[in-house]
Amino acid sequence: MAAVQTQVAQQYNYDIVKKFAVMSLVWAVVGMAVGVFIASQLAWPVLNFDIPYITFGRFRPVHTGAVIFGFGGSALFATSYYVVQRTCQTRLWAPGLATFTFWGWQAVIVLAALSYVMGYSQGREYAEMEWPIDLLILFVWVAYLAVFLGTLMNRRQPHIYVANWFYLAFILATALLHVFNNLAVPVGLFSMKSYSLFSGAQDAMTQWWYGHNAVGFFLTAAFLGMMYYFVPKQAGRPIYSYRLSIVHFWALSFMYMWVGTHHLHWTAIPDWSSTLGATFSIMLLLPSWGGMINGIMTLSGAWDKLRTDPIMRFMIVALSFYGMSTFEGPLMSLKDVNALSHYTDWTVGHVHSGALGWVAMISFGALYHMIPRLWNTRLYSEKLVNAHFWLATIGVLLYITAMWISGISQGLMWRAFDEYGNLQYSFVESVAAMHPFYAMRAIGGGFFLTGMLIMAYNAYMTIRQGVREARIAEARVGPVAA
Amino acid sequence: MLEWFSHAENTKPLGLLIFFVTFCLIVLWVYGSRKRGARLEEHKHIPFLDEADDVKDDKHG
Amino acid sequence: MFKFKHEALETNTGLLLVATMMAISIGGLVEIAPLFLIEDTMEKVEGVRPYTPLEQMGRDIYIREGCYTCHSQMVRPFRDEQLRYGHYSLAAESKYDHPFQWGSKRTGPDLARLGGKYSNEWHVQHLIAPRSVVPESVMPNYPWLLETRLNYADIGARMRTLRTVGVPYSANQEEYERNVKDFGVELAAQFHIPNARESLVAQVRAGNYDGDPTSVSEMDALVAYLQVLGTMVDFSKIKPEELVKFR
Repeated sequence: MAAVQTQVAQQYNYDIVKKFAVMSLVWAVVGMAVGVFIASQLAWPVLNFDIPYITFGRFRPVHTGAVIFGFGGSALFATSYYVVQRTCQTRLWAPGLATFTFWGWQAVIVLAALSYVMGYSQGREYAEMEWPIDLLILFVWVAYLAVFLGTLMNRRQPHIYVANWFYLAFILATALLHVFNNLAVPVGLFSMKSYSLFSGAQDAMTQWWYGHNAVGFFLTAAFLGMMYYFVPKQAGRPIYSYRLSIVHFWALSFMYMWVGTHHLHWTAIPDWSSTLGATFSIMLLLPSWGGMINGIMTLSGAWDKLRTDPIMRFMIVALSFYGMSTFEGPLMSLKDVNALSHYTDWTVGHVHSGALGWVAMISFGALYHMIPRLWNTRLYSEKLVNAHFWLATIGVLLYITAMWISGISQGLMWRAFDEYGNLQYSFVESVAAMHPFYAMRAIGGGFFLTGMLIMAYNAYMTIRQGVREARIAEARVGPVAA
Repeated sequence: MLEWFSHAENTKPLGLLIFFVTFCLIVLWVYGSRKRGARLEEHKHIPFLDEADDVKDDKHG
Repeated sequence: MFKFKHEALETNTGLLLVATMMAISIGGLVEIAPLFLIEDTMEKVEGVRPYTPLEQMGRDIYIREGCYTCHSQMVRPFRDEQLRYGHYSLAAESKYDHPFQWGSKRTGPDLARLGGKYSNEWHVQHLIAPRSVVPESVMPNYPWLLETRLNYADIGARMRTLRTVGVPYSANQEEYERNVKDFGVELAAQFHIPNARESLVAQVRAGNYDGDPTSVSEMDALVAYLQVLGTMVDFSKIKPEELVKFR
């Protein structure tokens, strides 16, 4: 076994995967901690401390950037490099370029966070990075595409496994979205300020085409790629239906790009375009659920694993949350529901049931599976994985319940009329009514963060154990070889 | 007839049509032939070929 | 007959790349491209104008502080929003907004029709200490806006950039005269890039936004921006049926 493992370690480039895996844990802790902090700021505004750098407005993109691009992005780099090597049975192409993607990507996350607290922002949600950082992202992304394609082309397996299709679609779509949404003219060569090329309604369309598809391809397609590899591996059985995964892939990549306008219902864009977005959002339910069923049914006949294997439990719960949020999403894209839900905390809750429930949990599962294999050892503690699982699950449930209640009550309070036909509540009454739920949300986030800290500790101990074992093995082999 | 395409509000039925036809073609292709189905399903074992170099893991056979 | 081979797709990286690219591009093209081609997207209403240099600086501060993370600028056509905020927003009203700031969240109220609803003094007090005027507010305090002098050294460069992306600021006599025709003498002078700094200071002196007409603070700029929001179009002059076809 050990001999095979060593052989595997030489066969594949694990160095780059290890780096990204560690950084994804680091960014998860940082990003979630900032998230809990800004959630607390909304409940207790005194926490803004009158310091410009940490006010909610500047800190919120630090949170979204660190969790989406830092944690999610690094987890995707790590797993995609791992999966593409193992399913193609070849080493990563151009290791130097891959190392560049690592340092480049980490620089992007750090520079973005620094620039936000300094007040440099494009004012576009999830794309707040100013133009020099956008250029760096572009270089890193082209290098990423090259490494990924190069590895695919060097494969020793005629068929390209479906997980790689999802990763490829994610890389391509992200490149497309990033370029078009960040078209801007800088004020000067040495100025961090730029103005977007488009304005008003057209700019809004571009931004939400980006905004939704960042969710669609960065936070969904890519993590589905992760799912199509790690769920079968962890379960020890192949994916339920390969044919379903093909239909899933084409339907998803085709349909996602149409739905961005559901973020702009009832705004000053043409009606047909928002109806079109809603129609496709409803249809999107089909491939989404197809994918979920495909993942969950992989376990059919081995359901006992849910009881015995906490890593498997992470993955299955992630798929369940994926199913739930892909049902909630189309519901919220209906124009009548959206009239109530838009601008409220319901949206925030929806995003987090997807981000914490699906994206984070499937990544946890993948990382727990991958880290012991990368360092050629066992997981330090399965008990801690179990503790993490329950903390995370309770955290998500608290979070989304709080946001459902607060979101729906906001929506209802804003549109309530009294018997004389006047507005029943002033805006600030709705703000005051949200306080307990904002506190509850912060507590839910605290649970999730605590689980994350346990994971970081568990991973740290696992890696230490792996390094120690490697050193002992080396010491034992050393004299013999000499 | 051609004029119909130039109206933006018609993108909805047009999009639906394109989508529906493509979708049907894909589904037909994937599920249409038993032989092709069997070949496609073969691929699901790829993740289990990665441990030992090119040797199929007989545990997951 | 043409026989499609998916095998080729599964085994050829290049083909898979092209097919995926096609699948993901179609949606975006159909959804967005028409907006750039069709004139119907935007109403032609009178009154919409570029921001003055001071207002534009204020808008840039609004973006810097991330106000859009809690405030929308897009009133929807519902009765409750009409009563709470005012007439629903038109696409034309944000046609000089680079970038748009419609927002996606109302932790605080919509600001699209904020202009003129409160006095300058109220805004200054509210920005420095929101809870001193609205006890239940969860907005951060922004005391540094009043203390920080506005850095408007690059206002000319900013306006030139905005001119590049389509905002009708004038860089020469010919463009200035066009603006005189479109917006009147007073505004055309403000939109003239060579005079940008002078017009900015003049507007601070005349507007007295932060209570101190001699200094040019960031508060001056932000309040000037907030006070112009949603005030450009005179809705008493527009018949509702003229707007219907754009919904």
